[in-house]
Amino acid sequence: MSSLIKSLRREWAFMCRQRYILLLLLCSIVVSGFAVVSGINEVNEQHATIERLKVADEIDRQDAQHKHDDFGMLAYYTFHLTYLPPSNLAFAALGERDVFPWKHRVRMLALEGQIYESDTSNAELAQIGKFDFVFVISALAPLFIILLFHDLFANERANGRFDLLVTTAHSPISLWGARSIVRFGSLFVGLLLPFWIGANISGTAATDVFIVTFACFVYLVLWTLLSIWWGRNATNSPWVASGLMGVWVLFAFIIPILGDLAINQSTHAPKGGDIVMVQREAVNDAWDLPVTTTMDAFVATHPQWQDYTETNSMFEWKWYYAFQQVGDQKAAPLAQAYQQAAKNKYDLAGFVSLLSPPLLLQRVLTRAANTDALAAFEYETQIRKFHEQLRHFYYPPLFKMHELEASQSGDKELKQRLLDTMPKFEDVMQGQVSKTDTVSNTN
Amino acid sequence: MKSQIIAIAKDEWRYWLRSKLALAVLTLGVLLTVSSVIVTTVKTMELDHQRAELQNQAEQTFTEQPDRHPHRMVHYGHYAFRTPSPLSRLDPGVDAFTGNSIFLEGHRQNSAMFADQRQGTALTKLGSLDPAFIIQILIPLLLILIGFSSISRERESQTLTFILSQGVSIYTVIIGKLMAMLAVIGLILVPILVSAVVTVIQGESLLTAMSFLFGYFAYLVVWIILIVLCSCAMSKNSESFGVLMFVWILFCIIVPRVASTTAAISVPSAGKLESDFEVIAQLRKLGDGHNAADPAFAKLKANLLAQYNVDSIEELPVNFRGTVAKNSEAELTNVLNKFAEQRMSEELAQSQVARQFGWLSPVVAIRTLSMILAGTSIETHHRFLRETEALRFEFVQALNQVHIDKLSYQDDMNRNVDKEASNQARVSAQNWQVLQDFNFTADAPAKRLQYSFWAFMQLFMWIAALLILAVFIGRRAQ
Repeated sequence: MSSLIKSLRREWAFMCRQRYILLLLLCSIVVSGFAVVSGINEVNEQHATIERLKVADEIDRQDAQHKHDDFGMLAYYTFHLTYLPPSNLAFAALGERDVFPWKHRVRMLALEGQIYESDTSNAELAQIGKFDFVFVISALAPLFIILLFHDLFANERANGRFDLLVTTAHSPISLWGARSIVRFGSLFVGLLLPFWIGANISGTAATDVFIVTFACFVYLVLWTLLSIWWGRNATNSPWVASGLMGVWVLFAFIIPILGDLAINQSTHAPKGGDIVMVQREAVNDAWDLPVTTTMDAFVATHPQWQDYTETNSMFEWKWYYAFQQVGDQKAAPLAQAYQQAAKNKYDLAGFVSLLSPPLLLQRVLTRAANTDALAAFEYETQIRKFHEQLRHFYYPPLFKMHELEASQSGDKELKQRLLDTMPKFEDVMQGQVSKTDTVSNTN
Repeated sequence: MKSQIIAIAKDEWRYWLRSKLALAVLTLGVLLTVSSVIVTTVKTMELDHQRAELQNQAEQTFTEQPDRHPHRMVHYGHYAFRTPSPLSRLDPGVDAFTGNSIFLEGHRQNSAMFADQRQGTALTKLGSLDPAFIIQILIPLLLILIGFSSISRERESQTLTFILSQGVSIYTVIIGKLMAMLAVIGLILVPILVSAVVTVIQGESLLTAMSFLFGYFAYLVVWIILIVLCSCAMSKNSESFGVLMFVWILFCIIVPRVASTTAAISVPSAGKLESDFEVIAQLRKLGDGHNAADPAFAKLKANLLAQYNVDSIEELPVNFRGTVAKNSEAELTNVLNKFAEQRMSEELAQSQVARQFGWLSPVVAIRTLSMILAGTSIETHHRFLRETEALRFEFVQALNQVHIDKLSYQDDMNRNVDKEASNQARVSAQNWQVLQDFNFTADAPAKRLQYSFWAFMQLFMWIAALLILAVFIGRRAQ
């Protein structure tokens, strides 16, 4: 045991004299540090944006509620903020948040006409991609490892020291093992240290830190072993590095690109444009259709309102919102197929990433950070659910205001009493059953 | 001198043909480029066709709508699609990241919808199979593999001393090796050249296509000078290789992303959702254009009454509700445009910050140059947004004009009374012809060249700096 420590100490001293390696280690700390700092900055910015939006949203809603008394108008002019806050691990894996929206305002109109709106960041910056911790580990770190380990043997052979070293060392392990452990350990700590500090600042859960650390460790060990194995008999270090770079290009670019092509060829999805077209046609045609046509389609999915469908004027809000909903219903098959196609692609990409370690790592970490496409799908589901609650909140005052007025009790004004039960997106986010759900169930 | 250069270049070629690595790398490079050109061309042509068809369809459905109240058509709205520019088959740029269709309706400026990337596999986060990526990132790596030992090899085997002692200048050797590498560039750019010629035949301007090609040529020239110089400056193959690898990682992998991250941090952009709140606040002051009784329109009413010298809006020869709609749309659009312009200038400022990194990495310079010349940069997307906004404003106001002129105020006010009155409050479908055809094309060639000026300067700076460096390195090696 003590001989191992001695060997480690010797190799450490040896490494400290190699400027080239020290430069590389310094570089790894700097890039990882930059990634973590910019990641934390980005996440803070997103939190701050959400806070500002929440305040502005509340003011805007109060204003609309103050201005209008008719629930049809209220539903039309009241917007609701929905958002997907970044997790405590998001600073390390910003993931798809620059492509998928994480903030959205919806109102009670047909959802299919609203949900595809995007408020994403600068496309040119999104196209280059973010320099986050996951990127440093999955794409950059293998290159550092290749640079550090490809000439482990070849360098000594080229310098003519190889045989001398092998004969004087206690065992190959104490020589090459100790040297590899020292190099790997320094690199690993250099890369992960900024992450650990960042995790501490961001209050990341210990299990998440452990998962990330473990995943990175396995991933980097794999690359190290590959680099050492590849160069075991080599004398020409550039040849070794070229081969390893080839493997890296294969994993990072070629396999993903081919996988992407194959998946896009094999998956058929409706065009997004078709969904909104269908929805728009349905909503606009409804103006010229008999009221009963719309109401029949509406009642088919909302039987609790079948006794409240008669209209007295050419325009009534309940009819207006009924045909908004019918528009969504008409577009629903297309919209579901569209979502399903996106999910299928995500699943298929999972198989492809099994062939590409960098992608697999990205996938694992963005999943842990809840910043991947799956998180975006989940957010979309939350919006849909919230929109549904919103509809069920507005339907009673729209369809049976007279009954509500007749049964009014207490001192509070009816409008205020109803508004107090307005669903909140936060409840959906926390998976709670909102008050309106229970109200609509009793209808 | 000239014959010596050619002899050295020929010798290098002979070496590559003998060495399996160089040959394999060269084949791989050409294969990658050819396949990327084919795949991207097919994809872009499909998109082009698809979007042009959708555009026609959208125009057709709009004009085929039945007789209606004109304001209903304002809300019915219209779609505009961004058809890709011819050169986007070589550099798709931001196309997959911005939405490519936009819904145009009254009172609102919607953002573009359906970015392809959102329906994608997320597999191409590191790189995609488009010619721009292949040439910007992968080809330099292959050039390094071919050229890292070009001079250091001669030094290791002592042949360099032999050549120099025969009175051959080191600069001749450097130029000879560069010539050899230049042939590789030529070979790799052939598929791009062919594709560019096709785009010219299909209507891309010759000047833009040539500048595009020249930009890529200059970019790869930066790399081969860098490679040969490094090989000349280092005493060992392995050193030359290590340094070049490091430079490649720095230029191709690190700097571009550092650039985008820095840009996002240094120019924070609020995003549409947030600035929309300010828009709403300002709009509230303007009044609701649906409600002609809104006190905000009292002044408009007084002016109109005075202009036509009547006492009530019923007596006006024009439809007051239409006038209110038209007026408020104009004022609202002013506000919306103000904020849209602000957002676009923020985005542009971000991109400009990122582009400054072209002084630090030729990769950033060629990216900028390539996207701008191909017409797939953020500028083009902004122009798409502006043009669609103009289209939106035009048809909405044309419909409002129909509302003013062709629908009487009385009929309009009674529209909800009964079925008959509702039918009375409609105008003929012939009025839907007000819609203008929308056909989006990339910026004019002169404009794109103008935008790309600094990116060209960055590449020239790189070449000039490397040539100066060559003098020093050559002097040392002599």
